[in-house]
Amino acid sequence: MTKVVSKSEADRLGKRGSYRLGGLGPSAPERPGPPRPYEMTFLRPLHQGWVGGWVLAALAGIALVAAGALFALWFMPFLIGLATGVAMRWGGWGLRVTVPAVLVMTCGGWGLALGILAARGQAVGSTAQTIALVAGLPEMAVLTIGLTLGVSAVQGLAGLWLGRALVPRPARD
Amino acid sequence: MDPRRRRWRLIRKVSNGVAAACVAAAVLVLCTFGFDGIPALGRALDPGHGAWAAAANAQLPQPEVLRATGLTGPTLVSFDSDGIATVQAGRLADAMVALGYTHARFRLTQMDLQRRVAEGRLSQLVGSSGLASDEFELRLGLLRTARREWAVMPKNSLAARLLTAYSRGVNDYLATLRAGGQWPTEFSLAGVYPAPWTPVDSLAVQGYLAQQLDYTTSPLDYAVLAGSLGIGRTMRWFPVQTAGPQHPFDEGPYRVRTAAASGQRTGGPAGQRTGKAAGQRTGGGAGHGSLSSGLGSQPPAAVVRSAAAALALTSGIRVGHAAFLPVGTAWAVNGRKVRGGAGSMLAGTAALPGLSSEWFQAAITAPGYDVTGVSLPGLPGIVIGHSKRIAWTLTSAQSQSALYYVEKTSHSRPGDYFWRGQWRQLRRLHYTIPVRGGSSKQFTVELTAHGPLLTKPGVASPAISVQWTGTGGSPDVAALANIGAAANFTQFHAALATWRSPAATFVYADRSGNIGAMTAGSFPVVSHGSPWLPMPGSGADDVAGTIPYAALPLSYNPPGHVVAAAGQRGAGAAYPYYLGTSANDLDANDAAGAIYAALDRRSGIRQEGAVALQTSPVSEMAARVIPRLLSALRHANLTSAERHAASALRHWNHQLSPGSAAAAIWAAFWPDYLSATFGPWWHVADVPVAADPVGLSISQAQAGMARDLEMWTLADRSNPVFAPAGAHARTARSVMRAAFATAVAQLTTLFPGGPSGWRLDLLSATPVASSAQIPVLGYGSRAAAASPWLSGGQAGAAPGAGGSAGGGGLAGASGPGWRMIVRLSPGRAGIVAEGIYPGGQSDNPASAWHDNLTARWQHNGYLPLPAAGAAVTGAMRWEFLP
Repeated sequence: MTKVVSKSEADRLGKRGSYRLGGLGPSAPERPGPPRPYEMTFLRPLHQGWVGGWVLAALAGIALVAAGALFALWFMPFLIGLATGVAMRWGGWGLRVTVPAVLVMTCGGWGLALGILAARGQAVGSTAQTIALVAGLPEMAVLTIGLTLGVSAVQGLAGLWLGRALVPRPARD
Repeated sequence: MDPRRRRWRLIRKVSNGVAAACVAAAVLVLCTFGFDGIPALGRALDPGHGAWAAAANAQLPQPEVLRATGLTGPTLVSFDSDGIATVQAGRLADAMVALGYTHARFRLTQMDLQRRVAEGRLSQLVGSSGLASDEFELRLGLLRTARREWAVMPKNSLAARLLTAYSRGVNDYLATLRAGGQWPTEFSLAGVYPAPWTPVDSLAVQGYLAQQLDYTTSPLDYAVLAGSLGIGRTMRWFPVQTAGPQHPFDEGPYRVRTAAASGQRTGGPAGQRTGKAAGQRTGGGAGHGSLSSGLGSQPPAAVVRSAAAALALTSGIRVGHAAFLPVGTAWAVNGRKVRGGAGSMLAGTAALPGLSSEWFQAAITAPGYDVTGVSLPGLPGIVIGHSKRIAWTLTSAQSQSALYYVEKTSHSRPGDYFWRGQWRQLRRLHYTIPVRGGSSKQFTVELTAHGPLLTKPGVASPAISVQWTGTGGSPDVAALANIGAAANFTQFHAALATWRSPAATFVYADRSGNIGAMTAGSFPVVSHGSPWLPMPGSGADDVAGTIPYAALPLSYNPPGHVVAAAGQRGAGAAYPYYLGTSANDLDANDAAGAIYAALDRRSGIRQEGAVALQTSPVSEMAARVIPRLLSALRHANLTSAERHAASALRHWNHQLSPGSAAAAIWAAFWPDYLSATFGPWWHVADVPVAADPVGLSISQAQAGMARDLEMWTLADRSNPVFAPAGAHARTARSVMRAAFATAVAQLTTLFPGGPSGWRLDLLSATPVASSAQIPVLGYGSRAAAASPWLSGGQAGAAPGAGGSAGGGGLAGASGPGWRMIVRLSPGRAGIVAEGIYPGGQSDNPASAWHDNLTARWQHNGYLPLPAAGAAVTGAMRWEFLP
């Protein structure tokens, strides 16, 4: 929007002192302010809440996944992933934090459940070998354990994606 | 914001949401239901449940109090450190409740798999790969037989009460599993779980075990062989009577029993027979018809085609080869043969297909039934063992339990067959076979008066039906219960009077010093025709009856103080009834002869001596043949390895010790010799071995061929069999030299270190099947001593040996399972018994009791049996309360 100017000011164009008529044009651009110091984006303090609280929440997630396994709630990793995806909106965490968190909660949860079985004196290793054999895999316990944790992880990641999709984070202007 | 940008953002959001939802749904569906053979991964791999729950099941039993339905009083079960169970109850039925629970606790996978195979529901668990087995079993009719048996069984009879009690125990354990979700891995991964157990299931399992031991396809094999070799050669090489010296436990005299006389006994208990005598006939009568004494007629080409088609039904599954399975051995001695001269001794090995650990060791103490030994999960009772007074074991008997009929049909009369002068309608039964991972299959079985059709009538091949004695049912449960209560041989013999299937030879010993051997079972008698071939189904060759029980082979307190059974023909050549042919002879290696020879030489046998006899026997056949071989090699141009091998044979004592190089050479040579002799004939005649690789191939398990070859080697070295038409002239000597060279070359290839590294146990490594009968869960190959005690001679066959025409039978796939030695004394010493089987009491591979017995078995060790009538002791115990 242009300024309203008088006729006398318009007549002074081209004459001495006409530099003061710079105001006839559009507003001059403002001078940029001092530069902001550079900050790494994943450390940018855009998340909400206390970090410790998030860590505690992750530990609770592990416990919930483990408890779910022991109570035949095999779908708990999916629910945890879903909840994590929803919580992103409020928490402001990026994928670089959220995905590893989901993996830790899901794999850690089912891993903890297997650890509890072993602590009870059950033959987890031998059972893992048996499962591998019956499933047609090489007789290696690590394969079965890896497959088990993988199923948990896939559930969690699927839940995370769905959670993010249902409640997306607003885009920055 | 630019409206276009806003629109694209919306599209991206919606697309992302839809994609996320689809992926989540797919993951959840896969985890909940599975897909196309992939199990429901979420349920299956849930750490606290699913397949992982088997880890809890693998734990050893803890002391606990359990509630069981159907009990009338407290019942105890205890376990020793090896897992051997002792059951103590106030009633026999209560003991069976506890036994059922215990069997299910440790062998549920085995029980359910055998039930599924028997009832044609294997595909429901394993998918389409089980269809061939399901179709065969539904055709043969184990389930039909079991249902019919249960329907006619008086529900207040002993067998019915025991079967019902046993089922209750199994179902109590299944209820525990359903509540806790701790299913065995196999079920969790498949997502298919065992149904409740019923008495019909026990009877079906009984039928399945009988089928494994007693179902034979030999008439079909004869037809196919005759189609290639001609009936003359076929009957010469697979004669009705096995060539060479025979060692029946019943040497006669024999009587033809009339129907009226069939229940009478002569002499002492159960018709005591003494000494050898020519067979005597007291006239004909019902039960002994005019069997064709000739070779039988050359089967028409159409019948040969049908026979091959019928064989194809079973070639891919493990049935129809009863003659090729090791059946174990049994012997008993008394008198001066036993140390101290008083009492008796009994020893036996008992094999089931696949060197399996299907046996479950237990002791049961209940009023009137104090028995210890081995049981078969799925069935109530002890099958082999001893009571406070007697001991017994069993082996499979030479018998042809299956007859095949060529049915007359017509294209103008579809659905009909001709029998006894009339056209009759085929009976049709329809089944639905559920298939895991696929759609259910509809299956129809057609039956004639003889039995189910194995093949469909076609233009170029008639339909063939089978009549198997096992489809008539058999009161084995009652018989075993009565055996356990028997106090003497008369009662023992009476207990087996109704035993029909599987045909078996029982060996007996008691504390009073009596011993005996007897055959029990249903042996069909045809009034006309050649039962070793498929017979016309018009009715003239139908079964006219069975051999009367009193006429079956029997020996009681023989003067030689020895009875022995190793699957050989139980009676001599003069026996007036048809028992089967050499194809049904289960003693191809003359194990019975070896046993008799070894025991005849000894006296005052002690427990340690019995162990040596059982685990390191001598091969009498090798003792007869090796000198001929060495003679043939005398002037031959031998390589260094061959000279070393010949030297080893020259100094060999013919003992099949695990570390013996000479035994390994013999084990490699004999099948090669068979192949070298008969192989050219098989090749020229183009015998279709693929139709039945086990039954039609040249094999040391073929008793007829093996004994023929021995006889020709010893007494007829110029027999035409050594010189096939069109081949260069050969004699036994030249064939032996060639076979010897082949054997040494094989051993050199297998053991590159040279003759010093040749060992029988390394040559005959035998895969030990798991008790769950799941191949991948086997125990792996275990070096097992080859043994002529193994009828069929599977162990000891060199890999690749045994025939150029299709392999060496089931070489290396089977072996003796349960081994037992029982010393019975009349005095305070009572009964001392020990036994062992490969594997362990639990079919859970994660259990400490899964494989704990194998090493001891492998190294010829034994474990003491719990005493009969022993009370429950030990900390690992369950207390069952009503």
